[in-house]
Amino acid sequence: MSVLSALIVAVLFAVGVYLLLQRTLSRIILGLALMGHSANLLLMVVGGRAGKAPIIGAFGPNDTVADPLPQALALTAIVISFGIIAFLLALAYRSWVLTENDEVEDDLEDARIAQLGEAEMRRWWRRSE
Amino acid sequence: MFVLILSFALVAALLPGVASLLGRRVFYVAALVPTGAFIWGVWAYSQIATTGPLIEQAAWVPQLGLTLGLRFDGFAFLMLSLVAGIGVLVFVYAGSYFHTEPIIGRFAATLLLFAGSMLGLVLSDNLLALFMFWELTSITSYLLISIEDNKAAARTGALQALLMTGMGGLAMLGGFVLLGEAADTYSMAELLARPPSGSVVNVALLLVLIGAFTKSAQVPFHSWLPRAMNAPTPVSSYLHSATMVTAGVYLVARFTPAFAEYSLWRPLVITFGLTTMLLGAYRSLRQHDLKLLLAYGTISQLGLMMLLFGVGTKESIFAGCTLLLAHGIFKAALFMLVGIIDHQTHTRDLRVLGGLHTQWPVVAVTAGIVAASMAGIPPLFGFLAKEEALAALGETGFAWGALVLLGVVVGSSLTVAYSARFVWGAFGPRQVTMIRDQDYVGNEAVGEQAPKPSNMFLAPVFVLAALTVVFGVLPWLVDPMIARAYESLVGKSTDHHLALWHGFGQALALSAVAIGAGCALFWRRKRIEELQESMPRVPSAQRGYDRTVKGLLEVADAVTGFVQHGSLPIYLGVILLTMIVLPGVPLLRDSVMPDLWFADSPMQVVVGFIMVVCACAAAVARRRFAAVILVGAVGYGMAALFVMQGAPDLAITQLLIETLGVAVFVLAFRHLPADFVRPKLRGSQVARIAVAALAGLFIFGFTLFAIGARTEPSISGEYLDKAYSEGGGHNVVNVIVVDFRGFDTMGEIVMLAVAALGVAAIVRAKRAPTTAEAESSATEVEV
Amino acid sequence: MTQRRSVILDLCVQAEFHTLLLLSLYLLFAGHNQPGGGFAGGLVASCAFGLRFVAGGGQALSRSISIPPTTFLGVGMLFAILTGCVSLLSGHEFLESAILSVDLMVIGKVKTSSVLFFDIGVYLVVLGMSLLVLEQLGEADGSDPDEVQP
Repeated sequence: MSVLSALIVAVLFAVGVYLLLQRTLSRIILGLALMGHSANLLLMVVGGRAGKAPIIGAFGPNDTVADPLPQALALTAIVISFGIIAFLLALAYRSWVLTENDEVEDDLEDARIAQLGEAEMRRWWRRSE
Repeated sequence: MFVLILSFALVAALLPGVASLLGRRVFYVAALVPTGAFIWGVWAYSQIATTGPLIEQAAWVPQLGLTLGLRFDGFAFLMLSLVAGIGVLVFVYAGSYFHTEPIIGRFAATLLLFAGSMLGLVLSDNLLALFMFWELTSITSYLLISIEDNKAAARTGALQALLMTGMGGLAMLGGFVLLGEAADTYSMAELLARPPSGSVVNVALLLVLIGAFTKSAQVPFHSWLPRAMNAPTPVSSYLHSATMVTAGVYLVARFTPAFAEYSLWRPLVITFGLTTMLLGAYRSLRQHDLKLLLAYGTISQLGLMMLLFGVGTKESIFAGCTLLLAHGIFKAALFMLVGIIDHQTHTRDLRVLGGLHTQWPVVAVTAGIVAASMAGIPPLFGFLAKEEALAALGETGFAWGALVLLGVVVGSSLTVAYSARFVWGAFGPRQVTMIRDQDYVGNEAVGEQAPKPSNMFLAPVFVLAALTVVFGVLPWLVDPMIARAYESLVGKSTDHHLALWHGFGQALALSAVAIGAGCALFWRRKRIEELQESMPRVPSAQRGYDRTVKGLLEVADAVTGFVQHGSLPIYLGVILLTMIVLPGVPLLRDSVMPDLWFADSPMQVVVGFIMVVCACAAAVARRRFAAVILVGAVGYGMAALFVMQGAPDLAITQLLIETLGVAVFVLAFRHLPADFVRPKLRGSQVARIAVAALAGLFIFGFTLFAIGARTEPSISGEYLDKAYSEGGGHNVVNVIVVDFRGFDTMGEIVMLAVAALGVAAIVRAKRAPTTAEAESSATEVEV
Repeated sequence: MTQRRSVILDLCVQAEFHTLLLLSLYLLFAGHNQPGGGFAGGLVASCAFGLRFVAGGGQALSRSISIPPTTFLGVGMLFAILTGCVSLLSGHEFLESAILSVDLMVIGKVKTSSVLFFDIGVYLVVLGMSLLVLEQLGEADGSDPDEVQP
């Protein structure tokens, strides 16, 4: 198998992760799109060698035929990732309309819990001293 | 038997509806069910003499091989007569205890559910079914304690009972599973007939014992029982003295004959039982609340029962069965008496009560008789049980037998003392000397003007008192029943018989010593009380429970606060790192490298290079649309790769999706500013890049590994063959999508439709109006 | 958007629109034997409408098609489920295909599979989804819907 395909998969995934870890909502969505590409390509690469299209009549008896199963899976995955991205875009749009802000804030509820936990920790320290 | 247990649940379901029509007479309707159960039990008891145990089986979860087995034998009858017999009396009693509170329908239904669960518990042969009924009794107990849910004390008491017995039940379940797996059967009868061995059995028994100890309120798990006294008195007299708390004892009684020889069983049960007996009795002497006095007394008696069954000699098991029955009778009656006093005088404080002996002489005499039975005074049933116990412990033949016997004698004298304290406190003259609290000084003794309880209210107490006398004087009435219970536990019949008079012997002497010492303790009660006051308080189990619960909550706060601090990038980072580390380590250890070459074709190099460059550029792009276009370019590159891979369908779809995708991106982003806002980032970019690089490295390794790990040929060879013959198409990918794996596609289009509707809903949604806005708009309408 | 319409784009789109729709139908029906299928066909049709939208805005889109996108979604789902149910009712597995042979007299014998109807369902769902997304995001004007006075 070609190292290059694995390399492309890896780079797309790494860039996707980098974008995912940002705080800007639209960059997060772009990151997800790249990760989707990476996953689809991974399916194809892992599925087997390149070959003739798996269409009966389009290949001879001695030709290598590309594995149709990962293709079918990837086909489904491509369309689904489109659906997901459209949904996320709607969310991003909505967030912009409501807050004029394209940023993922810290969850308020979680932050409050974190404060509670910190207070608890501080009390423990004091008790153990 | 299934029908019997189900009938409890069925009638319980009807009761709340009926209650609104019948008022408190609903309890008399409910009493019919345990009456029926009792009659059935007597009939079945007459059967088993000839046929052996009755067994019923029903498939429960056949897929898992679970069978719900019920088994009725002599010991089950002993328990059934307690559950159903006392059940009938408690229902009759509750009919007078309550007025027409709105809770009575709920109360009667829950109490009946409890009775059914308890019946199921003692009839179950399958360990898992037993566990289920065991937990059902815990839950109904929780509901019953907190039935007056506006009382905070009732709620916390109920919760404590549920937490402690639930914790024990969980441990017990673990034990049951270990035992069941070791013995390869979950039938209790089979398990006990061929007990498994091995170190795992010791662990299992320990877990089962934890369950039994918590349920039967053994020290140090006893603290829930006094708190449960916040329940209405019918609950206390039924669940928390006669039936539910004996479930642990029941389990130990069942298990002892098979497991007594295991190294840990006997010492553990005896130590816990004896400690509980002594501590419970000692604490009982200190209580002012009659109900609490009885509660600690119950703990003490449960300790004695546990001890007797734990010793596991033939005589002690016989004595245990006798005490189980005797205790159920006298303790239920005593609780009912406390309930009557509480109901008529509105207090249970023995320092305030006084003069009831002149008001209610008959009741006072009855109480005296029942308490005497508890104290073990001849010729009552309690005396017989105590005699059996002392005799059995006197001839154990164990090295430490004498020590245990001494402990039990001390415990018995304490029992005599608190029994006397109960009667004297409740019915004797007002004990002004005992009052220290200022509140009570100068008040008249409560009880001088107390109204007489109705005969219906008293009837259950009289029945129980009569039983304790009759069984004492005419022991041959119950002797066969106890012998049969013994037989079903041990597996052999006995020629031992209950008798009021066994002749002069060690047991009688010890009984006399205990009674004498108890009377002396009661005589010097003022000194004892002062002594108890001056003694340093032992660390109480209640405080232990409170600390544990508080500590648990603090730890939960701290852990949650640490784990859940609200930053999305950190959450994602943690998830990604977990994904990298967990599969990554085994990946490094045993990966198989496939044959490698650099690229399939020069074209692939070109396309790959463009894609990598575009992706990296998208990561650093400042302009929003530039980033979108760059990601789109990566998508077109994907299409090119698909063509090279031999996937024209994919290529077409990818190309179209990318086109449409860019359009949608543009539509969504056109109102947003052209440049990305640069939010102040917490944490460095370096960390992000590091995580991203690690993830990329991991995926690179994973891709190589996944190819190398393939050992089987693809299943699509079959697809290629069948595509035309069965699917009727030349395009194999399409045949797979719409035919062979059509269900996947079905799910996919559902998901697409949902996503589309979601988009429409989100874009168009209005904000939920705040309360103020809603009010203002409402007023606008009015104007 | 309407004031800055490009005439050339408008004309091109009008020329292309029907061709693209035809192409999409071809892809749909040929998909069982050639590259294509419900997904690809649906996406081509979506692109056709997308072009219309880009050229003429929301009004052009609604002028070119009067059926609401949700109807496409619903009918598509119905097609897919009914295909499955028919094979279920005739005693086969859910979605198991049956090969149909239809004699169309003039054109000749057409051999196809019952799952074609399933593929039509996929086509319609994909098209409906794209239309709905385009319409919703396209008409959204970036203002808070609460502040728009009816």
